[in-house]
Amino acid sequence: MKDKSGFKKAWPIILLTIVVVISVSGLRYIDSITRSKIEAQQEQKIESMLSGMFPKMTQYDYDAEDDIYTIKTDGKKIGYAFIATGQGYGGDIDILVGLEDETTIKSISIISQKETPGLGTRITESPFIDNFNGLKINDAQLSRDDGKVDAITGSTISSRAVVDAVRTTALEKVKLLNSQKEGS
Amino acid sequence: MDRSKKESTMARFKKEFTKGLIISNPVFVLVLGLCPTLAVSTSIDNALGMTLAVLIVLLGSNIIISAIGRFVPNITRIPIFIVIIATLVTVVNLLFHANLPDTYESLGIFLPLVVVNCIILGRAEAFASKNSVVYSIADALGITVGFMLALLMLSFIRQVLGTGSLTAFGIHCFTLPVLGEHPISIFILPAGAFLVIGLLMALFKRTGVIKND
Repeated sequence: MKDKSGFKKAWPIILLTIVVVISVSGLRYIDSITRSKIEAQQEQKIESMLSGMFPKMTQYDYDAEDDIYTIKTDGKKIGYAFIATGQGYGGDIDILVGLEDETTIKSISIISQKETPGLGTRITESPFIDNFNGLKINDAQLSRDDGKVDAITGSTISSRAVVDAVRTTALEKVKLLNSQKEGS
Repeated sequence: MDRSKKESTMARFKKEFTKGLIISNPVFVLVLGLCPTLAVSTSIDNALGMTLAVLIVLLGSNIIISAIGRFVPNITRIPIFIVIIATLVTVVNLLFHANLPDTYESLGIFLPLVVVNCIILGRAEAFASKNSVVYSIADALGITVGFMLALLMLSFIRQVLGTGSLTAFGIHCFTLPVLGEHPISIFILPAGAFLVIGLLMALFKRTGVIKND
């Protein structure tokens, strides 16, 4: 009798545990079968974005260690690209940044974001994105912080997240590129 | 004896299915899940993508919950239902990301938000936990079709008025002469969705499609 009531008390916890264990293993399985497909798609998307950014691109090299794409036309370097991640209002914002050379941004495009629809999502659209075309890396700050990028009204957090991620990551990557040059 | 029982099962199945279409249409009568309704009824493609997601999740959750419903103690009912629903939504999220990348992109945040879509938990609580698996399948199918009808109606009206043209499955169907140049863009925005839902609801009540109780 005593045993039975003990079991009755524990039953909700046991059942919840069972349900959680089953769903976690189910999710692991689904994740394992979809992961490669999702990654392939991401890669394809980046490739098409790169060729949109550098229309003359014929090939690109990816340096996995530094996470930098080197863009080439018939073996000649015409630029670099890398992915910057900013902390937006609704989560991570992944940005593909193209560099013309070590000081100038060619253009940027947003790979993925989870900002507020209609407000923060405007970071993916033309007037904001165009701010970065041909911008010096050091000018990649909001106008109110003495930079040359106009924030989107009502979406300062999203705008600042993009600008800061682009600038800080670009400076890091340029440092890596310079040290590569000295090394070789 | 056997036959009449079978027939009544069929009849009940039919009844549980058809009630979701009009009598307890999730959008116009139950007024559940309005957030995704407002957000994704901007185009026919989005509406169908959302319907597919809701179909998979609702069917899965209704089946599982009606099967285990009687073993679930009251105190852990909601946590267990939510874990099941969240798991299904994550599965749908991953499958869409892998197989329907365009739909995944345009549904955006509203795909993971199916977790908190009150249609799903509402049906789990009000129906699946108290009924058998077979009827819960009928209920899920009926509610999903009702949801789809509502979304299609809304997205058709909103797309036509808000953009002046109709595009479905990537095929351009038609462009209206005057609206094409001067679309009433408020209908694409959430405010327009409220207007359309309200007007349709009023119309359905006036014409007696939906009964006042």
